[in-house]
Amino acid sequence: MKAVNRLGSGARTDSAKTINFTYNGKPLQGVAGDTLASALLANGVNLVGRSFKYSRPRGIVGHGAEEPNAIMQIGSGAGTVPNLKATQVELYEGLEAASVNGWPSVNFDLMAITGWFGRLMPPGFYYKTFMYPAKLWMTYEHFIRKAAGLGSSPVQNDPDSYDKLNQHCDVLVIGAGPAGLTAAREAARAGARVIIADEQSEFGGSLLASTDIIDGLPATEWLDAIVAELQGFANVQTLPRSTAFGYYDHNFVGILERRSDHLGLTAKTGARQRLHRVRAKQVVLAAGAFERPLVFAHNDIPGVMQASSVSTYVNRYGVAPGNDLLLFTTNDNAYQTAIDWHNAGRTVVAVVDSRLNPTGERVAAVTALGIQVMAGHGVIEAQGGKRVKRALVAQLNAEGTQVIGPVTKIACDLIASSGGWSPAVHLSSHTGAKPQWDASIVGFRPGKSQQQERSVGACGGTYTLRGCFEEGASAGAQAAMLAGFGDDSLMFPVPEVLDIQEQPQQALFLVPHTKSTSRAPSQFVDLQLDVSASGIELAVREGLESVEHIKRYTAMGFGTDQGKLGNINGMAILANALGQSIAETGTTIFRPSYTPTTFGAIAGRDVGELFDAERYTAVHRWHVEQGAMFEDVGQWKRPWYFPKQGETMQEAVDRECLAVRSSVGILDASTLGKIDIQGPDAAEFITRMYTNSYLKLAPGKCRYGVMLKEDGMIFDDGVCACLAENHYLMFTTTGGAAAVMAWLELWKQTEWPDLQVYFTSVTDHWSTATITGPNARKVLAKVCDDLDLSADSFQFMDWREGTVAGAKARVFRISFTGELSYEINVPAHYGRHVWEALMEAGEEFDITAYGTESMHVLRAEKGFIIVGQDTDGSMTPADMNMDWVVNKNKAFSFIGKRSLERSDSVRENRKQLVGLKTLDGAEVIPEGSQIVFDSKQQIPMSMQGHVTSSYYSANMGHSIALAVVKGGHSRLGQTVYCPLANGRTIAAEIVSSVFYDPQGERQHVE
Amino acid sequence: MSNNIKRESPLKYFHRLSSKVANRSVGELFNGEAEFALVVQESPVISHLNLRGDANDQLFCSAVAEVLGLMVPRQPGTYHCNSEHSIYWLGPDEWLLVSQLAADELETRLRKNLSGHISIVDLSGGQTLINLRGKPKALRTVMKKSSVYDFEAWPLAEADCGRCARTTFAKAGALISNRADGSYDLVIRRSFADYIGQWLLDASQEFGCRIEGDSVN
Repeated sequence: MKAVNRLGSGARTDSAKTINFTYNGKPLQGVAGDTLASALLANGVNLVGRSFKYSRPRGIVGHGAEEPNAIMQIGSGAGTVPNLKATQVELYEGLEAASVNGWPSVNFDLMAITGWFGRLMPPGFYYKTFMYPAKLWMTYEHFIRKAAGLGSSPVQNDPDSYDKLNQHCDVLVIGAGPAGLTAAREAARAGARVIIADEQSEFGGSLLASTDIIDGLPATEWLDAIVAELQGFANVQTLPRSTAFGYYDHNFVGILERRSDHLGLTAKTGARQRLHRVRAKQVVLAAGAFERPLVFAHNDIPGVMQASSVSTYVNRYGVAPGNDLLLFTTNDNAYQTAIDWHNAGRTVVAVVDSRLNPTGERVAAVTALGIQVMAGHGVIEAQGGKRVKRALVAQLNAEGTQVIGPVTKIACDLIASSGGWSPAVHLSSHTGAKPQWDASIVGFRPGKSQQQERSVGACGGTYTLRGCFEEGASAGAQAAMLAGFGDDSLMFPVPEVLDIQEQPQQALFLVPHTKSTSRAPSQFVDLQLDVSASGIELAVREGLESVEHIKRYTAMGFGTDQGKLGNINGMAILANALGQSIAETGTTIFRPSYTPTTFGAIAGRDVGELFDAERYTAVHRWHVEQGAMFEDVGQWKRPWYFPKQGETMQEAVDRECLAVRSSVGILDASTLGKIDIQGPDAAEFITRMYTNSYLKLAPGKCRYGVMLKEDGMIFDDGVCACLAENHYLMFTTTGGAAAVMAWLELWKQTEWPDLQVYFTSVTDHWSTATITGPNARKVLAKVCDDLDLSADSFQFMDWREGTVAGAKARVFRISFTGELSYEINVPAHYGRHVWEALMEAGEEFDITAYGTESMHVLRAEKGFIIVGQDTDGSMTPADMNMDWVVNKNKAFSFIGKRSLERSDSVRENRKQLVGLKTLDGAEVIPEGSQIVFDSKQQIPMSMQGHVTSSYYSANMGHSIALAVVKGGHSRLGQTVYCPLANGRTIAAEIVSSVFYDPQGERQHVE
Repeated sequence: MSNNIKRESPLKYFHRLSSKVANRSVGELFNGEAEFALVVQESPVISHLNLRGDANDQLFCSAVAEVLGLMVPRQPGTYHCNSEHSIYWLGPDEWLLVSQLAADELETRLRKNLSGHISIVDLSGGQTLINLRGKPKALRTVMKKSSVYDFEAWPLAEADCGRCARTTFAKAGALISNRADGSYDLVIRRSFADYIGQWLLDASQEFGCRIEGDSVN
């Protein structure tokens, strides 16, 4: 069955290959090469939605990114995509399309009732009506969104994958019309790396619908040849279906490539869409121009279209979107549409030209076809319901500001309008170049270049085909030269085209009506957001003056089409209302994105498990096999606790903690930062970084140190070991490793370059198994026979090199639990082997793997701080009751020393670290709880501190907490209160922060 | 060191894993016959030593050259190699040595030859070298997906020298170098190896990718 408006094959469609699709559930047929829009028009479907505010019926207007009305929901289920423009959706077998605007249906629209009350919804309506009361906004918004038809997002996870490619090129050409193609060819021949991108399904731009003869060939044949030529260059990447959506600093351009959208929702071709992040040395913008519609009364009735779009549907797609055409123009260029329509075998009822005496070559050609040309006239109103039935035409004065003759009714079902062209200055505008009004082209040209870019062809305001070819070719050669290729001379002759003589166009932004603008039927400026000429004038009467304010007040240009059609008319109408020139009024600034960009493409492959890098230790798989629960520590996955069958977290942690103090536990401590430090000044450097001294630390010995920032506040802590003369190993916290490394390099490179010292991160090289508990020595002895482990020989804070389970190891007798502990470091290749050997050796002692939670509890029992948990960047060593670690008598100062003497650092009543013991031992205070001295006071209470660490301690048999309390060190024995969010209050006694083994005897077991 | 103890290379758990080819008509076939357009090969455990010293010190440079049989690269972003060793420029006073020789043996030889303020640190357990090879388009595309660096701007590598850069690879870091056969070597950190393995399988889905290596060596 042939579709009613299908003429046959167009230049880019094949009517022999049919494609089935559905629109609002109704099965229809299109042909290969169709867009959804051309297929709908071929089937006589023109009504595609309802307008945003007044719910007026709306039809297809354009043929590309500028389309304001044909907004579709494509597909259903997880892959459904809302808000696609039918003009940009390529047809594929089985495509399901549904109109987005129109609720509950396009043909019967409940909201149309508001259309009859349109005058009750002036600009600023939402601000005026829905702002108060604020709490109802959510209700309003729900209704407005549904009524406005903003499409629906899928609720399931996106089944598709997306990519990002980092591209580098010498010359990036955006737009593959006549200017872009010649630019790319010249740059390519010069040897530059070229990327040429175009948002359409195939290259060609205006040539795809052109009837011109180029180098003696029909335009489309010439096009095929040059595209093939470009594809033949090894140094050229061609990107069709690729929209440059943003132009950022440093010639960085974002391009969205649609790779499978044209194949269907479930086509699996790798990535559905690909974001090209292009860093280009030079950019050629050849983005083309948008035809400007004419603003007349009821210019929104389905059947009013862009003149160039009508030509495109006829020539490119072989579709005639109507029968009786009336063309309304202000320029010669659009006369081609009348010729195309006539050649398609359909009727041109008249050409209405606002100019008094048009005489250009195309005008003559139209006249020669016997078509009536009504010079000095304008279409002042379209009439019809869901389709244009007639146009009201009247004589206008020379300026086009007044109706001066009687109104004639002319029957037609299609009105093509052309008010000239507007360069697509969007990308140039992204760079900060402010578009400049040029009366000679009746449009804004790109502003002065802010980056390494130039605009050529129609987007620079050059509309003749010859001009596009010339500008494109020379821009390509010039860009290549500036990028270091060629000498700026052209390698190819400029393509030969016939020059067609054109007369100047008339600037006409608002067609007058017999009634005043405020009384006339709505003259629409922005079809997508229902902004009319009278609305703009009303906004001015209400006192708005700036184009940016008017834009926001009326919502002009706020739709997904970003006002590509309406903005210039709107600004001109505004300028007129303000009594200014257009240049004075200026334009709003376009920002990325040029067209909507999916979040999927921006996220790329960094989703799900790959959202961030996960760092694993060499023993990670063992932990997984044991069913460990994991905790994120920086990017590391650390075992949190190891639950046995049916155990709760608390039960697992209790078991792990008891095992350490009664027998032996094992912890994967590989994530601790480790920095190898070598050089004759190593000891001096380390002594300047820590608060204590390392000058006399002998090989084989370790020392605990605290690092401060210049402000005297604790920054990191850890053990530092002397490996050999001038050779040290510094341990840092897991989370602080990278920061400490940078800190060391910073001081070395900027302050003390004279010190001879080198730092190398060895965090990943070592796998660390910490065995701790009274039986730790017995376990180690079973797998290590070349070390004397006796308490006298291998003392607390010693380290030794030996062999553990066959692997060369560094064993450190240091402790974070207060028990006898050995931290066994082996090259990470042997990490799992040694770990498993220790588990086997410890079996007879019921060795228990424990995670970070038990590590936290065990160290809290001993009052050992965790930097970043018990400190927050405002704590000095004294605040932590750690004055013992500060050596104020070192020959050279240390970082932060001076700040420890600041009045604020030594004042009374600083927050100080204490222990808290709840009066009810079973009660665990939530970490972060605020502390008050008087629980009966009025809110807001006077807050005196907060809880930094809090756990239930199975070893103590009651809960324990660490807290910082104002003047805490002198408040031992006092009762404080933690008021909770739920209204309850927990009372606790301030106690020493060392709960367990206060004399520190347990790590010295024989 | 005893031979019966198990050594695990960082990428061990990814050996012999492959990505499913997303679409055969799109995925290119490696060498027209092999199944995967991209092969990731982890080198057997070899030695990685970080070397610091003064590049302006003739004695230092000649002493290192004597041990390795290689000139110390002083041109930023370059490496030199022979059949046994590679030496990569990491900074004006910092190099990475990757060697077939045991790390302690190489360190001993270097220390014997060198004097003054230097640093040699064994990193063998903390990093691994993987080679990415495959159909040019697949390789080029996956590198572009993974790194912002412009590898195409590098001149082709020769048998005994090439270019290298420490840069980002996905959300991890890597020392990336080109090889004369058109493939790339990546030196990556052990703790990021699983992430990079997973990333490569995912990123090369459209071509098909297989990860190779000896799990125990």
